[in-house]
Amino acid sequence: MDKNEVVDYCLDALKKRGVDKSTCCLTVSQKKELNVENDAMALLRTTFNTSLGISAIKNHKKASTSINKTDKNSIDEAVDTVIELTKGSKPDDAYDISDKQPKRLFSKGCDSADLDIMYRSLDEFVDYVKSTYPQIKLEAAIVDFNHTNSIYKNTNGVDFQISDGIYSFSPVFLSKEGDKTTSFNYTGFSTLKIEKPLYKYAMVDSLLRESVEQLNTRSLDEKFVGKLIVTPDCIETFLGFIINDISDGKMITGNSIYKDKLNELITNPKLTLHSKPVSDEIEDGYFLTDDGYMAENSTILDKGILKTHLLGIYGANKLGKKRAVNDGGAYVIGSGSKSYSDLIKDTEKGILLSRFSGGNPSNNGDFSGVAKNSYFIENGKIKYPITETMVSGNIKDMFENLDDISNERVNYGHGILPWISFKGITIS
Amino acid sequence: MKYENLNKFRNSFSNYTELRVQENRNSSINLTNGDVTGNTSSQKSGVSARVFKDGNWGFSSNPEINTNSILGVVKASTENVQFMNKRDTNKCGYFLPETMANNDIDFSTNKNKQSQKYWLDFIKEIDGYIEKTYPELLSRNIGLGGLDMEKSLLTSDGSEAYSMIPRSIFYVMLSIEKDGNPVSIGNPWGGLGQLEDQFYNPSDYFNDIDQLVDRLKQKANGIYADAGYKDVILDADLAGILAHEAIGHTTEADLVMAGSVAADFVGKSVASPLVTLIDYANTCNDQTCPVPVYIDDEGTKSEDVTIIKDGILKRFMHNKDSARYYEEKPLGNARAYEFSDEPLIRMRNTAFVPGTSKLEEMIASIDDGYYLVKTGNGQADSTSEFMFAITMGYEIKNGQLGRAIKDTTISGIAFDVLKTIDMISSDMSWSSAGMCGKKQLIPVGMGGPAIKCKVNIGGR
Repeated sequence: MDKNEVVDYCLDALKKRGVDKSTCCLTVSQKKELNVENDAMALLRTTFNTSLGISAIKNHKKASTSINKTDKNSIDEAVDTVIELTKGSKPDDAYDISDKQPKRLFSKGCDSADLDIMYRSLDEFVDYVKSTYPQIKLEAAIVDFNHTNSIYKNTNGVDFQISDGIYSFSPVFLSKEGDKTTSFNYTGFSTLKIEKPLYKYAMVDSLLRESVEQLNTRSLDEKFVGKLIVTPDCIETFLGFIINDISDGKMITGNSIYKDKLNELITNPKLTLHSKPVSDEIEDGYFLTDDGYMAENSTILDKGILKTHLLGIYGANKLGKKRAVNDGGAYVIGSGSKSYSDLIKDTEKGILLSRFSGGNPSNNGDFSGVAKNSYFIENGKIKYPITETMVSGNIKDMFENLDDISNERVNYGHGILPWISFKGITIS
Repeated sequence: MKYENLNKFRNSFSNYTELRVQENRNSSINLTNGDVTGNTSSQKSGVSARVFKDGNWGFSSNPEINTNSILGVVKASTENVQFMNKRDTNKCGYFLPETMANNDIDFSTNKNKQSQKYWLDFIKEIDGYIEKTYPELLSRNIGLGGLDMEKSLLTSDGSEAYSMIPRSIFYVMLSIEKDGNPVSIGNPWGGLGQLEDQFYNPSDYFNDIDQLVDRLKQKANGIYADAGYKDVILDADLAGILAHEAIGHTTEADLVMAGSVAADFVGKSVASPLVTLIDYANTCNDQTCPVPVYIDDEGTKSEDVTIIKDGILKRFMHNKDSARYYEEKPLGNARAYEFSDEPLIRMRNTAFVPGTSKLEEMIASIDDGYYLVKTGNGQADSTSEFMFAITMGYEIKNGQLGRAIKDTTISGIAFDVLKTIDMISSDMSWSSAGMCGKKQLIPVGMGGPAIKCKVNIGGR
């Protein structure tokens, strides 16, 4: 069977078993992955995979299964499994599948990896790091190319095909000199084509340079309330709380502090947050939602006002609210009016936070954790890298007290993010 | 899904080669306020080969399991290592230490397998108990899931192994509203074995849930911890995560080679003489550990690794390649999560060895500090600086337990914190609900006694 026939066979088998609604998604992927370990090229991986995901709703009861085989016997067994799972489930009128939409074929990126470019780029990166930052130890650095072909169909007549090929790079590194060792740091980006040296993408080179600076850290000897300037590499850590709070899980349990805040101001009006999975400026977006709708771009926060929750079909039906037009991710934060250097200049006392090692925030937004790879700022100047520094506050209050957003932004391929300063953070 | 005759592919090996056929099976059900929000199963299987030559590795995997695909992954991984060797000739002549071991181990249940409906009814009964007994709760989230990892392995060194290691976890997450804000607490149960060998009657958990709700209410009325450098008692869960995150990761040889601070500490005092810390392979005090490993995915027999003995750092955890580099014997720490993953250096069951103190004596010895009971997530660093979320704890005042505290975090430099340990309890408990993340996920066990030490605690 070809891929289309596999999906059709699967939906047909489910229909014959009396299923009311069903979806089937077949994804066939191939990945090439080059690995640097401990400063040297070490491993080339080629992996093939298949995923056949099946969901069924019968008598308002729902179940899902996935296998990585496409022969008839395996599909028949998977259909038996999902039917058995639906029987045991509990009816819920909120279960549903996506509505009929025009048949579409989506495509982006190359069909296959250019392994020579991958090798050359990674090799050059290792050489660049060795020659420019001899103190740096590359714990790992991975360049990969992932190509997927997917077919998504459901019994409402949805029929989508996607072909997608993207390169990613992710280095993990630290600096070591004598008996001094820095915290590790990491970053990453995605791109449709590798067109320049890897260190020139996103924040890679800056973070390498900063790692060497961080060989000479100092402890802060006082506790104070000051500003936190969060770097583009770190800002999604804090945005994640808001995103999590407006998504299905927390909304359905009632644990979200933003559950009744649609069209209300929930952050400082300087913040505008988009999710742009199908924007040209986001190379590593996505075409479909998990529920089988064509993804659309959306504005989540418009000048601080919450414009949408991020609910899927189940969450929207359960709560009687509107389904989101995407699954979040591909975040683009609107740029501010000040430069990054002005954010620093305007900081009397605070820290520049490059990485945050913290506990999951409490339901009310309280958080605390350790500032990693970060710097002390005083009288408008970055003074020195810090160690053993704790940061604590409340994320809801923090975004209400957002101070400024930089006009420079960094494109990671999967998001476009600025530096953001926040007031009133406890630093100890 | 034991692959019976992997040995017939031995002749296709032309270099050092590992060949593995693996199937992972997951099942998961979830109730949110009584509604079924998860009801899934998944099966992922395939074959992979990894080849080593002249200091480089080639790897390939395929979801099909037949003669052609098996020969295909051996060929593709060989071609991958040739691609690397052609471009990188700096490591010619590197050879891995040879290890050979044979073992079959199967932890499948001998009982009749129950349907997913049976298990859904199981957690529905628990949910019904909570709803009826505690109507004041804001939310109830209950989950039950199982993971079976089944592997057949052949290596060019002559190792042959089969293992079926299952893990089953049941968890409850509850929340209550306090002053308009939700406060939550959760607890996992379970460990080694399929669902039928872990969970018997829903009512077995009612007492634990009563205690969980008690703690939730205490926490809802809790106080902020007083931030600073404090005497604390880390209960077993926290001692386990300290052992795993803060010490374990910094002593994995690949991270040591990458610059971990532990590189400079072998043979030196890194902890109080009370401290002995072991990564157990499969058995501790004649009991099977939560994640038993008998032969690792490089075909090496798994043995305990004593990382710290009486306060002295003794050795690191290795795979074959790091063992080659450090000229040590590998002790079976190389593990892969899925068929399409290559083995990495991973902990198995990492724990502090119990001491002689009683928990009551430890509490009585603190004038102003905290007894920290539950942890959320934890992270550590190459410097051994760690951070753990605290999701349940109590203040200690004048040797007595006091009020509960709100969620907070603790942090410190692990090799400094270990030197402050002055009491270790005589009991021992294991947990294995979590997954360790390091390129791949993998189930791990962690455990220990309660330990008394000094850490930085967050708060206001």
